[in-house]
Amino acid sequence: MAQSNPPFMSGVPELLLLRLLNDDEMYGYELVRAIKQVTNEAISLGEGVIYPVLHSLERNGSLKSRRKAVGGRTRVYYSLTRKGRDRLDRLRNDWKRIQGGVATALETAVNA
Amino acid sequence: MREPDFNSLAAALRKNGVAGRHAHRAVNELRDHYDDLVDAAVDEGASSRKARRLAAKQLGSMDEFVAQMAACRELKTWSFRYPHLAVVVYPLACLAILPAAPILAGIAHREALVRWGTSLLAAGLVTAAMLLVMQLSIILG
Repeated sequence: MAQSNPPFMSGVPELLLLRLLNDDEMYGYELVRAIKQVTNEAISLGEGVIYPVLHSLERNGSLKSRRKAVGGRTRVYYSLTRKGRDRLDRLRNDWKRIQGGVATALETAVNA
Repeated sequence: MREPDFNSLAAALRKNGVAGRHAHRAVNELRDHYDDLVDAAVDEGASSRKARRLAAKQLGSMDEFVAQMAACRELKTWSFRYPHLAVVVYPLACLAILPAAPILAGIAHREALVRWGTSLLAAGLVTAAMLLVMQLSIILG
């Protein structure tokens, strides 16, 4: 997988996937393209990395999937469940809290 | 980067304890993803060979993919999640199934059993008929 992202990126793919699937159902390839687009390619995921995350989220009930034949290929479309929305809200709040804390710490360090 | 070997990928996932349905579906999704990447590269003007190479690079290492799938405990079979329990349950299940094994084997091979049974019956009838003819020839002759 691409190693262009730092180690503290752990958990970010999950947050991004939940956020994107909150708007619409998508399949893996679409999701990777969408992540690149919405993050202005700041986050470059190894493309295979999303499938373990998608399967895990589906296994714990945050996502549901359905097969759909499109252009001669059977796509697996993922969409968010109610549990997934709750998880997204929780992760979003966690992310904002951490982001705020780190930003404050960085500002403090600069001003010190 | 080499082209991904999707045929051996499912086996590698199963070997690392990933449940069959997740292993097969993940491989199919990854294969479709790879095909999409190749198509996109070809559309952008790359040769078929270069497109496949680029797609493989974008998809990433299959070994790491296997490691990531295997790291998700919830995607593993129960015997990999609870290995100590499996050590107890599997032998007990085998012992429980043992008495039923001949019946299950018979059901599984019922067509052969019917053939054998029919052949034995036919052979018995032929033998009995021959013995009857011999007996009659002794009595009447």
